[in-house]
Amino acid sequence: MAEHHTASDCKHKTSSNAGGSVSGNGRPNSPAGCGGSGGLSGGLTQPAGWQSLLSFTILFLAWLAGFSSRLFAVIRFESIIHEFDPWFNYRSTHHLTTNGFYEFLNWFDERAWYPLGRIVGGTVYPGLMVTAGLIHYILNLLHVTVHIRDVCVFLAPVFSGLTAISTFLLTRELWNQGAGLLAACFIAIVPGYISRSVAGSFDNEGIAIFALQFTYYLWVKSVKTGSVFWAIGCCLSYFYMVSAWGGYVFIINLIPLHVFALLLMQRFSRRLYIAYSTFYIVGLVLSMQIPFVGFQPIRTSEHMAAAGVFALLQAYAFLQYLKDRLTRQEFQTLFFLGVSLAAGVVFLTVIYLTYTGESHLPVMLRYAKIHIPIIASVSEHQPTTWVSFFFDLHILVCTFPAGLWFCIKNINDERVFVALYAISAVYFAGVMVRLMLTLTPVVCMLSAIAFSSVFEHYLGDDMKRENPPAEDSKQDRPEEGLGPNIKSIVTMLMLMLLMMFAVHCTWVTSNAYSSPSVVLASYNHDGSRNILDDFREAYYWLRQNTDEHARVMSWWDYGYQIAGMANRTTLVDNNTWNNSHIALVGKAMSSNESAAYEIMKSLDVDYVLIIFGGVIGYSGDDINKFLWMVRIAEGEHPKDIRESDYFTPQGEFRVDKAGSPTLLNCLMYKMSYYRFGPYTRLDFRTPPGFDRTRNAEIGNKDIRLKHLEEAFTSEHWLVRIYRVKKQENRQALDHKLRNIAAKQKYTSKKVLPSLFH
Amino acid sequence: MFYKLLIVVFLAVSLQGAPADGQKKKETLLSEKVSQMMEWTSKRAVIRLNGEKFRRLIRAPPRNYSVIIMFTALQPQRQCGVCKQADEEYQILANSWRYSNAFTNRIFFAMVDFDEGSDVFQMLNMNSAPTFINFPAKGKPKRADTYELQVRGFAAEQLARWVADRTDVHIRVIRPPNYAGPLMLGLLLAFIGSLAYVRRNNLEFLFNKNVWAFSALCFVLIMTSGQMWNHIRGPPYAHKNPNTGQVSYIHGSSQAQFVAETHIVLLFSILHCSRISHTAQLHTE
Repeated sequence: MAEHHTASDCKHKTSSNAGGSVSGNGRPNSPAGCGGSGGLSGGLTQPAGWQSLLSFTILFLAWLAGFSSRLFAVIRFESIIHEFDPWFNYRSTHHLTTNGFYEFLNWFDERAWYPLGRIVGGTVYPGLMVTAGLIHYILNLLHVTVHIRDVCVFLAPVFSGLTAISTFLLTRELWNQGAGLLAACFIAIVPGYISRSVAGSFDNEGIAIFALQFTYYLWVKSVKTGSVFWAIGCCLSYFYMVSAWGGYVFIINLIPLHVFALLLMQRFSRRLYIAYSTFYIVGLVLSMQIPFVGFQPIRTSEHMAAAGVFALLQAYAFLQYLKDRLTRQEFQTLFFLGVSLAAGVVFLTVIYLTYTGESHLPVMLRYAKIHIPIIASVSEHQPTTWVSFFFDLHILVCTFPAGLWFCIKNINDERVFVALYAISAVYFAGVMVRLMLTLTPVVCMLSAIAFSSVFEHYLGDDMKRENPPAEDSKQDRPEEGLGPNIKSIVTMLMLMLLMMFAVHCTWVTSNAYSSPSVVLASYNHDGSRNILDDFREAYYWLRQNTDEHARVMSWWDYGYQIAGMANRTTLVDNNTWNNSHIALVGKAMSSNESAAYEIMKSLDVDYVLIIFGGVIGYSGDDINKFLWMVRIAEGEHPKDIRESDYFTPQGEFRVDKAGSPTLLNCLMYKMSYYRFGPYTRLDFRTPPGFDRTRNAEIGNKDIRLKHLEEAFTSEHWLVRIYRVKKQENRQALDHKLRNIAAKQKYTSKKVLPSLFH
Repeated sequence: MFYKLLIVVFLAVSLQGAPADGQKKKETLLSEKVSQMMEWTSKRAVIRLNGEKFRRLIRAPPRNYSVIIMFTALQPQRQCGVCKQADEEYQILANSWRYSNAFTNRIFFAMVDFDEGSDVFQMLNMNSAPTFINFPAKGKPKRADTYELQVRGFAAEQLARWVADRTDVHIRVIRPPNYAGPLMLGLLLAFIGSLAYVRRNNLEFLFNKNVWAFSALCFVLIMTSGQMWNHIRGPPYAHKNPNTGQVSYIHGSSQAQFVAETHIVLLFSILHCSRISHTAQLHTE
């Protein structure tokens, strides 16, 4: 636990440092007398050296704090890839580094989705793999020989530092340097972002948030300067984002929204025109270079807003141009003509779109939630409770509206952007837990602005009193006795809040987001730790003891892990692109054994792998997921599988004697509890066959398997693997045939003497 | 001998004649019943039955059609709120069937109100409403012919699946589109438009930053306090423990929440946020 303390200490230091730096930044503002209106010019009167040294140190510490607080899992367990999707990413990165880039782009993976296979190169966002591969290549070029696995494990923590820096840059553009530094410290340790970027979670989001923030920074920069250089930089960053994550759709809708809002606010300028025109054209062309994206940017409805705003901007600029050239009368006629034409076109497009059934994202989400069980079954697709908001953002969730208030009160072009960013992100985060990730950066920036302005006034004014005491106006005098006390109290309170935030972040990271879920840990009463390594044990068994081309059937959650760790062919995996194939597996799991055998025969299944938590009380096992299998199977095969059959007449899902007979005889139940009933007695307080996860004595203890045999059960019974028996050669002889044989014997006896005599 | 033969022949004829006669009578009875049902259905998608009609059309044997019957108590004095909701869904289902292309006389939808046919309730030994029972074309209703209202709810789609299950008649539920939402939106827009028109010389409030900042703040606070979850999941306002009578406003699990809980959180975040902005603002001015 030594690491815990150093990590949190480090963070305390950074956040209090950041507070200090704000005061340093606020100092030069006071003689100039420009209260709240951001202090970009502040650095000029200050010796620049001190300020940049301080900023550099703080950013470095933020990077370090962010990096080290993401290492809990590595220190507690080891440097391994976590969870499910990262295993696929790791496997493809491995493929990339061993076979080269072009081989990776053309990769057809015949080991997934048996017998269909999967075209990997065309169905992934390659940015993550290419980044990791590139780093590995460069390191090896410099003769730093690291394994690709270590590059993958530590990629997300390293990128979190880059995210902190780009957040700093963006916030500096929006407000001032002090707010930027606070924002960098916040984003470095905020749990909402750590949840996707701990060491070992080698996933798209880890690098995508950096790309997102950096794109926004360059966009704000290009709007501010109106130079093509920054706009092209923005496009390149956008290209990286498109290559890394499907969330690029957020950018391609937010930037047009920003432009549109600016047009409505009559803030059109040449700078905006240059920035957006360059961004849209170059960004469009670049984004279409990613094979997985292809022609979507000119086809699908979620990209249409960008095109529409592009056309609108051109029209607006054209009108501005005409306004300078034409007389007022001519211009008015032309304007009305143009407006009515445009209105007609928009009207027709809207009608066309509504009739061809194009719809908006949230509507689709809600539709999908109701109608497709496979989407509803994923816990990340649920709406967000306030608890999750607080858990992931802590104090920031309450302070960021204040920052938003300041931004809107002191509005300018780029603050319009951050306001729109905040409002759209908070909406999406409310609809879907998973999109909390896109909300987190903006929350950090706006909270930093709120904290920074509070500190600026409460720490800055002290300096004012010290430096020019003679200049104090009369109005300030009555406060003088009370002022310093209140100021120090407020400052202390704010620092307390920040400290609590840092403690909360470390606690959440350590307890909620740092479990690899491949390796489990349990704690005894005396605090000593047991490592449950059943998953890897079982996958390694598969790797060593089965045929290289053996096909393993499991529920889709474990597909990537089986492919990554056991290197065996799977039927379904976490890339849930084919619902009917998954439904077939679900049907096999929820049918009785002989019906399941038919399905497994038709799918050439050699082994079946299930997760069973009844022995150790692991709640994420297959029986607890079972109803989703039934539902997904029912969606495709409503004649054969009915969800109501798996419930008791009272509508309960029970595994004990009162459970429905369909459940008690289905394949999943039998495989889970095979040999569990009579032979296991976990302790003396419970009867034999007592399931610890569901706290029930199982209902069917005498389980016999006809077409399957147990091949492997891991140490804590967490993973059970069954071999599917091959079909027997012929029908066994039955009783009648034996009778006929006896008769023949009898006749032959009779015949024999006559023959010899 | 001949006489005997005559008797046998006569007997044979009479025996054969009697069933033929009955068959004919049965058929006419059946067609009469079907035409009767069709006529009622054409008037109203759900046929209202009383005790006498129930016995004649459902209980009496010659029948080649299934009937789904909702036993309910819709009279206001019965105070059955669930019955009303269930009735609405049932009407949607029956109407979707009646106006669909696949409409045949294989299946009819009917209902028995407790106040019109309490004898039917007694006959079937029923003591809860609403209940949906399918009377299949052949034989008596089995256990699965009673719809499990507690388990499956009374949504029209669920009912349609149950009907498809029991009778092999697939009904595509078509809900009448709800015009209330767009209408309200249109009214609101018209109201805003007219307000803007009336005040067209004085549109400064559109440029008022406070208004915009305030509305943005409201939106953000509503979202972060989990109102979206409430909107999608529809939790109860608070939970009253039936045993102790204690009312709890905070949900025990972090996966769920009550409406009251979100209101408390909303209040707290407003307080906190206004405090921060106030402290900073105070010194700016």
